[in-house]
Amino acid sequence: MLRTAGKLLLDQPSKSLGTLLGVVVSTFLMAQQVSTLLGILGRVSAFADGTDVDVWVTSATTEDTDITGTVPMTYLAMAASTDGVERVSPLVQGMSRATRPDGVRELVKVVGVEAPQFFGLARSLVDGTQPSDLAGPGRVFVSAADRPLYGPALRGDRLEVGGRTLVVSGFFDGIDPHGNYSYLFTNLADARALADVPTERATFITVRVEPGRDPNSVASSLRARIPDARIMTSAELRHAEVTHFMQRTPVGIVFGMGAVVAALVGSLIVGVTMFSSVVDRTRDFGTLLAIGATRRDLFALLLAQAMVFFVFGSSIGLGAFGLVKHYASSAPMLAPPWMLALVAVGSLVSCLLASVAAIRRVLSIDPAIVFKG
Amino acid sequence: MPENNPMPENLDSDAGGSALLVGRGISRTYGAGELAVRVLQPADISVRSGEVVVIVGPSGSGKTTLLSILGLVLSPSEGEVWLGPTRVSGLERDALARIRLRSMGFVFQQFNLMQGLTALENVELPLVLSGTERKHRRERALSALAQVGLAERAEHKPRQLSGGQQQRVTIARAVVTNPSVVLCDEPTASLDGASGKLVLDLLRKSVTGAERAVLVVTHDERVLRIADRVIEVAEGHVRERSSALKGAA
Repeated sequence: MLRTAGKLLLDQPSKSLGTLLGVVVSTFLMAQQVSTLLGILGRVSAFADGTDVDVWVTSATTEDTDITGTVPMTYLAMAASTDGVERVSPLVQGMSRATRPDGVRELVKVVGVEAPQFFGLARSLVDGTQPSDLAGPGRVFVSAADRPLYGPALRGDRLEVGGRTLVVSGFFDGIDPHGNYSYLFTNLADARALADVPTERATFITVRVEPGRDPNSVASSLRARIPDARIMTSAELRHAEVTHFMQRTPVGIVFGMGAVVAALVGSLIVGVTMFSSVVDRTRDFGTLLAIGATRRDLFALLLAQAMVFFVFGSSIGLGAFGLVKHYASSAPMLAPPWMLALVAVGSLVSCLLASVAAIRRVLSIDPAIVFKG
Repeated sequence: MPENNPMPENLDSDAGGSALLVGRGISRTYGAGELAVRVLQPADISVRSGEVVVIVGPSGSGKTTLLSILGLVLSPSEGEVWLGPTRVSGLERDALARIRLRSMGFVFQQFNLMQGLTALENVELPLVLSGTERKHRRERALSALAQVGLAERAEHKPRQLSGGQQQRVTIARAVVTNPSVVLCDEPTASLDGASGKLVLDLLRKSVTGAERAVLVVTHDERVLRIADRVIEVAEGHVRERSSALKGAA
């Protein structure tokens, strides 16, 4: 039946091509919209994902890594003495301005980590950068993605941040901003000065749990130990980041609707062309019914046609998306296998829904029409 | 389920062969109440094995309605249709479709071949629908095409064939399942004289030595030459001509 369905499709090349194009465009747009949303959400949670911190201790007023309060440094000792904690360290962050070579003052988020271990530093250091390169006053790590903004920035270059002159001593990647600011890592003292955070307070107390310990259970112990603080595992912080971002910006609605509209438009194109094709072929379907096809046979035939459109259309659409993603590597697009599978399912549902009108039409055909010359 | 009751007595087999297809008291009415139009008056008809029955009548007389009812694509408003010993009228439509697939073949005025399929694939269609294994259906379809003299055109698309050749492909498709009845709707109306003659010869030949009957609806007087019996339909009334005209036309 599948072979017959394919043969019948080839007999109407322009219509079949139009239908195929509808599935291709729809699948491509769905993939592009969903992957861009995932890419942006990945950047939203980049800070929570891009360090080796297991548990974050912060103020009860902190909502995410952009809207933060501070906690007293006394929490450091309380956290350190909690069961299951291997290491604790203060982390200070705040917004400032960095001056580019062209004089433009760029908004930056300065993140200060404590020497000598620099726990809370970006996990991925590049171009030979070592954590110890941050040791000493006035040193700063710049995101590899932002180097072009600063000259490009080279190791040893001077960078004015918040009226202070810092020296670029290394580079990191994997923590790209989703907003209009860049990340800079520096040592704790410089970050305090730039973010105006007093020495007796910190933005976060970062915690690493002992090997083999579940961060969730350690977080529970920390909550019991420091009830006034907000304690989040990295997964919880990521969730908080994404939730606040989705609630406070229209990005989720825009891209989510974009994906839904892409699916609907694809479904509409496929539906209209399949329906039109069935109308054109009313006599053929009538003939099939007359010579002994059942409604179930025709149902299977149309489903087989929808499946042909789905298989070829979604493959080409996802292939085209893969090419665009490859060549637009700076665009915030994430395409994990589950997302590709989700888009494929969306495309399949779209094709199946599209075939409903055509199937209804076929099921209403009277085989007696074949005797009307 | 099809019903296996005794055949209606007055229409049962006679010296001409066993009755393959029987209509008893069949009629058709469209609409209801004051708007009701009876296009076919109650009629009895039987088609026996080995014979060619030709139905003639003017346009709008009800002959196509009669063919549609006997071909199980249209339900009679009254009466019964029997296929061999089985009463088939009243069955649900998918059951009727399966009976058509197994026991009936159809030849249409406009050929009704799938333009995207080759001649061979068109002939294979009933076998595809019946789930015949690919190798066997290819053999049987090629054999059917050979019977109509088109084996060498098996890979041609319908648009690459003449009208007469297309109608011969249709005949091959109609007989490939070895049906007991072949129903033809104006099979020569779209053909020139030579092609029409060839098609009629094939239809005549298809009943020779086979447990099969051919039922033809036509305006074409040429068809009468292959008829064993002629049934006239006029204003919905069905009556049989007294004598066969085979060879007379």
